[in-house]
Amino acid sequence: MASLTPRRRRATDWTNALFVLPYLIVFVAMIVVPLAWGMWLSTTKSDLFGTEGFVGLTNFVRLFGDPIFLQTVWNTFYFVLLTVPLLAVLGLALALVLNRQARWAAVLRTIFFASTVLSVTVVTLVWRLVFLPDSGLLSVVTRALGGTPIAFLNDETLAMPAIAITTIWWCIGLPMVLFLAALQQVPRALYEAAALDNASRWRTLTRITLPAIRRTFALVIIIEVILQFQLFGQPQLMTLGGPNNATRPIVLFIYETGWRQWELGYASAAAQVLFAMILIAAMVQYWLSSRREAR
Amino acid sequence: MRPLALLALALLVASCGGATHDDRTTLVVQRFFGACEAEYGRNTDVAAAEGECGIMTSIINRFEADNPDIRVVENIVFWPGYDQLTAQLAANDAPDLVTMHGSVIADYQARGLLDPVGGDLATVGITPDQFTDAARRAVTIDGKIWGLPLDSWTMLWHVNTNLFRKAGLMRNGQPVLPRSPEELLAQAEQFERRTGKPYLVQATANEYASYTRNFYTFVMQQGVPLFTDARHANFRTPAAHRALELFKQIRARDLTTQNQDYSAAVASFLNGGGGVFLVGTWMVQDFDTASRNPDSALHNGYAVFPYPQLFQRNVTFADGHNWVMPHNPERTLAEHEAVLRFLKFFAAHDADWARTGHMPAFAAVIDSPKWRALPHRAALAEIAHTATPLPKQIRRQFPIETVVGQEAAAAIAGNKSIDQALADMERRVNDILQHI
Amino acid sequence: MRFGRTHPVALTLIVIAAVLMMVPLFWVLALSFKANAALMADTNSVFSLPYTLANYRTLFGDGQVFRWIMNSLIVSLGMTAGVLILSSLAGYGFARLDFPGRSVLFVIVLLGLAVPEQAVIIARHQMLSLVSMHNTYGALILPGLSAPFGVFLMTQYFRAIPRDIDEAALLDGASRFKIFWKVLLPLTIPAQATLGIFTFLSAWNDYWWPLISATNKQMFTLTVGIASTQMNFAQTEGLGFLMAQAVLAGLPILIVYLFFQKYIVQAVAGAAGR
Repeated sequence: MASLTPRRRRATDWTNALFVLPYLIVFVAMIVVPLAWGMWLSTTKSDLFGTEGFVGLTNFVRLFGDPIFLQTVWNTFYFVLLTVPLLAVLGLALALVLNRQARWAAVLRTIFFASTVLSVTVVTLVWRLVFLPDSGLLSVVTRALGGTPIAFLNDETLAMPAIAITTIWWCIGLPMVLFLAALQQVPRALYEAAALDNASRWRTLTRITLPAIRRTFALVIIIEVILQFQLFGQPQLMTLGGPNNATRPIVLFIYETGWRQWELGYASAAAQVLFAMILIAAMVQYWLSSRREAR
Repeated sequence: MRPLALLALALLVASCGGATHDDRTTLVVQRFFGACEAEYGRNTDVAAAEGECGIMTSIINRFEADNPDIRVVENIVFWPGYDQLTAQLAANDAPDLVTMHGSVIADYQARGLLDPVGGDLATVGITPDQFTDAARRAVTIDGKIWGLPLDSWTMLWHVNTNLFRKAGLMRNGQPVLPRSPEELLAQAEQFERRTGKPYLVQATANEYASYTRNFYTFVMQQGVPLFTDARHANFRTPAAHRALELFKQIRARDLTTQNQDYSAAVASFLNGGGGVFLVGTWMVQDFDTASRNPDSALHNGYAVFPYPQLFQRNVTFADGHNWVMPHNPERTLAEHEAVLRFLKFFAAHDADWARTGHMPAFAAVIDSPKWRALPHRAALAEIAHTATPLPKQIRRQFPIETVVGQEAAAAIAGNKSIDQALADMERRVNDILQHI
Repeated sequence: MRFGRTHPVALTLIVIAAVLMMVPLFWVLALSFKANAALMADTNSVFSLPYTLANYRTLFGDGQVFRWIMNSLIVSLGMTAGVLILSSLAGYGFARLDFPGRSVLFVIVLLGLAVPEQAVIIARHQMLSLVSMHNTYGALILPGLSAPFGVFLMTQYFRAIPRDIDEAALLDGASRFKIFWKVLLPLTIPAQATLGIFTFLSAWNDYWWPLISATNKQMFTLTVGIASTQMNFAQTEGLGFLMAQAVLAGLPILIVYLFFQKYIVQAVAGAAGR
């Protein structure tokens, strides 16, 4: 491995770049090039086996006149709205309560994180067995209580919330862990001072804890928005995007258009729109959090 | 440095997992029909196997046992596996043989992704005139043969005759089947009154194919074309409206099971949860086996029929399974020869495959006393003439099936009006067809 | 460490929530011990005897699920190791070293954070097709190495370490790499743990990429493997079997999780001790 002595430092500024070079190679090969390729594809009529020709912005024009695509955009936003705030707030609440050294807290932390490690296919299998109207857990419970089981996944209005519940169950561990890590880093002296002042629990929370973990809060929101915008496996495996397209997110649209309908150019165009949306969301988030910090 | 150690470990494990040396010709066979290696992984007794998965696995095992110089790599994909196949073909990673519905062959053929097999088959004595009409049509494009047909299938009227008896819908030991939409509703209501159970059992949750098949069948029965030409769907018709209206009525009047996924519907029918299960030929053997089990709700109480003729014409939407050979310039002569042997073997076992309930692909099998002697086949033989696939020039039938099913489901569940659903259906399908 | 006691309402709520979290898992666990036929007849049978190990016997007799688990482990560990190495190097480079174009490059990498897999997956698939790399571990790991999140996280973390530490080492005549390797890297262990877990989990849970890249059953990862049995049209193996498979698929990763959890708690405690 090259060793850079302080003496040679000025002359070898370029060699400093060796630290970032390995990553940059992968970054260019797996993100920059494919992104450019994808953008080019979105202006063509292509399938997976070749390109028929350049069509300019036709694919984008078609997208914005495609009611199914527009609905997937709405569905995706709806899903993000259903999940991200809850994930952040619940994750924070869990972290606040479980930020102890007590044994019970450790056990509960383990429980709340456990579902995160399961893969999407296991999660959907589990939750289909919860939601199934005939033999699912919910229907067994409902019947035992004398009620009529509700077919969550087959109901136009309940299907997306059901997928959101599944997702929150699956994903709650990550925000919790991130918040826990942040809480551990809040200087203990601050709490000791607050205790000396006889500050109320609420005051301690709002004046010390929350300001101290602001950055983490922003990070959690960014990560979760980006993750949840990419919803795919849950509806693909639980509802196939139905009923009546109520749970079809953009990614499923991209997948079906590209792989099933063989319209790769059109799918790429949809992917670019998703990209733009995520970019905007991340930018807004970044701007908000950095602005607040600057004050 | 822990990560490095882990990486080293991972690579070590990876290299240990590599293939062992093997002189045999490798034949990569990609198929759906499910995995049942637990039960049939080593079974080579084809006659003892039951169900699609069991028989398929056993035939392939048998082939391997009979051909020690060929190693079959079975790549089982989830149903129906076309998304994956498309990705594979794009990656130049073509399997040697793939199971493919007749309805989608044209898509792959048109892109030069398949090799014709007619010439090869002829060298081993298999010629198209031996196929049934439906099977031959499924694999013929531009006068060439693009696959070996395995079967033809349709949806069927699987009947629980025990419940039919209770409902007073048996005459001379035969179930009374409807001859018009009105009769269907009347009989279903009588059934519901007398048994307290829904007349129909349907897999409607997380499943759109059966919506589409029902829709196609009952529009076809009214003699109205579903497509005016290769680029235009024709769904905004009174016939299409009537087909959806019928199923909407059935649902609205609680004459069908609701919200069951495929396996729940199968379980429900096996448990005596309803009178008629609308599902394909592939379940005939499974239900027939259940009817021989004294503990089953179907004990001595199972019969199966083609879809009843409710309108002017006696036709049923049909499709079929076929083996096709993806184009692969790197396929060696030895591999090519293995493919051919495999196809020949399957052709010879068409009768075994037909025990599932599927219609045989070879006319000689349908005419054979052995097939006729299988349970319920007398009632099913007419399918050979009534089975009607969509016209071959309609491409993208697989995504179209999804769209039609989604919109039909929305109309039947009352999420949107029938006219709206048909208009959306037609617009979406035309959109697909016009962008091919 | 502690200030105040946990409010009883909060405690009650969180215990209820924990129970609700576990109920679906226990439901699946219970179903996995029932015969397929019994479940087919009535799911309520899960509440009564007999229970059976038959599903697990079938599963062990078949063994493909172990192959999938192995594949998932190799891919996830490989990706985790790769991401940790690349991100640490790059994070240090971006946070501490000067080289032409540094800030521009960092901003570009940050922008990469917002590039969803979907915007690049199609082209990635075509690129790896060109070099015939599909159905290899390399193809499953490579795209994951490009995720900018690790670089972002490590850069932030390196920046948060006081510069006095490397200044002191620099005065002692240590090389840049030595400072990185011996002095700063050990300080980043908490971030490494977070990043490691995050990467491992996203690799483990990755679905779409293995779905289109690993099309050979021998190369299926667990996610794709389970999906392949779940979507089997005729569901030939039965509900109990599927559930046993889900249990077996979940167990090893839960164990790995317990292992890493201990690690992260230590790491976090160490960081808090500073």
